[in-house]
Amino acid sequence: MTTPPYESDETLGARLRAELSRHAAPAHVRAAVARASAPARRPTPWLAPVLAAAATALVLGLVFMPMLPRFVHPTEQLVRSVVAEHTRTLMWGSRHSQVIPAALPWLTQESGIGLRQVFAGDDTLVFLGAEPVYLDDRRGMALYYRDGDGHLLTYVVLPFPGMAILDRWRVPIERGQSRYRPALLRDEGFSTWVWRQGDLACFLVSDMVSAEDAERFKDYFVRVRRATDPVPAQ
Amino acid sequence: MASDDFQRAALEHLDALYNFAMYLTRNPPEADDLVQETYLRAFRFSHRFQPGTHLRAWLFQILRNTFLTFYRLRERESALAEDGVPTWDVPMFHDAPEESSGAVEAHTDLERALRRLPEEFRTVLLLAEVEGMALEDVARVLACPVGTVKSRIFRAKERLRGLLGDYKKE
Repeated sequence: MTTPPYESDETLGARLRAELSRHAAPAHVRAAVARASAPARRPTPWLAPVLAAAATALVLGLVFMPMLPRFVHPTEQLVRSVVAEHTRTLMWGSRHSQVIPAALPWLTQESGIGLRQVFAGDDTLVFLGAEPVYLDDRRGMALYYRDGDGHLLTYVVLPFPGMAILDRWRVPIERGQSRYRPALLRDEGFSTWVWRQGDLACFLVSDMVSAEDAERFKDYFVRVRRATDPVPAQ
Repeated sequence: MASDDFQRAALEHLDALYNFAMYLTRNPPEADDLVQETYLRAFRFSHRFQPGTHLRAWLFQILRNTFLTFYRLRERESALAEDGVPTWDVPMFHDAPEESSGAVEAHTDLERALRRLPEEFRTVLLLAEVEGMALEDVARVLACPVGTVKSRIFRAKERLRGLLGDYKKE
């Protein structure tokens, strides 16, 4: 094509429109753009605030959870009190330790618990003394023993009619003809045997928590359980 | 403008944008990328588009800005890589670089001449003469006053005439 010199603006513009080849968008570009124009799957508008609120609630829950009141089984609650009493005795000794049977009338009067029979110690466990206690609004009695290795054992009797003992807590113990199924609860590094005798709740606490100590602790339970018969005072 | 309406209206200008991209990049794969990037940006920032203004000019503006941001930057970086000194002349109105591999061949003297024009001149001619865009819209695409657009068109045609005259003498 010839190009006249000094063609006018109009002519040059017309040539540009007429002679320049036009490039149509290829199919793959058209498809890619169409895909890009498809509505993106955005999270629903309420999702972000809900997730933020849930995360906040979770964090607050984790922060304040230790402060929230937790449901504690009444038996577990009582075990905690018994363990606390045991710990106090372990650290500072008993307050009004008395020798049985001389002080038995006074103990019965103060605790509301009578002892028709009591384990007063043997060649394995040494009886240290007895005293009235007041745990969780219940008057009761505590007897203290110490074994040959220096482990302190606290035996506590409290009135608790219908105290619930969950099956999963129970441990079967057989000694000769005797069979028992007391509960074994652990709290604060102490083991506690828990059982019922009538309307009374009985506890035997020690720091014997290892597997090796567990067998010995069973033996101590049997000794105390066989030889002690608490009853509510008349 | 509703999102669906916006996207439908934007897609009507696909061919025109692709044609513009081809004359800017002179390379089909780069034109593909440029157009796709343009639409991605347009859809992403569709909320910034003011209804009632010219969507076409807005899309061309995005395409040109994208081209300037990425493609010319890349050209400059590759030019700088040799000895740390830019090979291009004055930043404004620099001559178009030589054709790279993969570039579409020019079939006519007019195409050859157009390719030799600096991008600023090439763009005003393409928008005003080829696409038939109003000078106000061209000014918006180029982000400059209308008077500047008129001046550039005049100078672009002068440069084009000179190049065409040179080809005739060859």
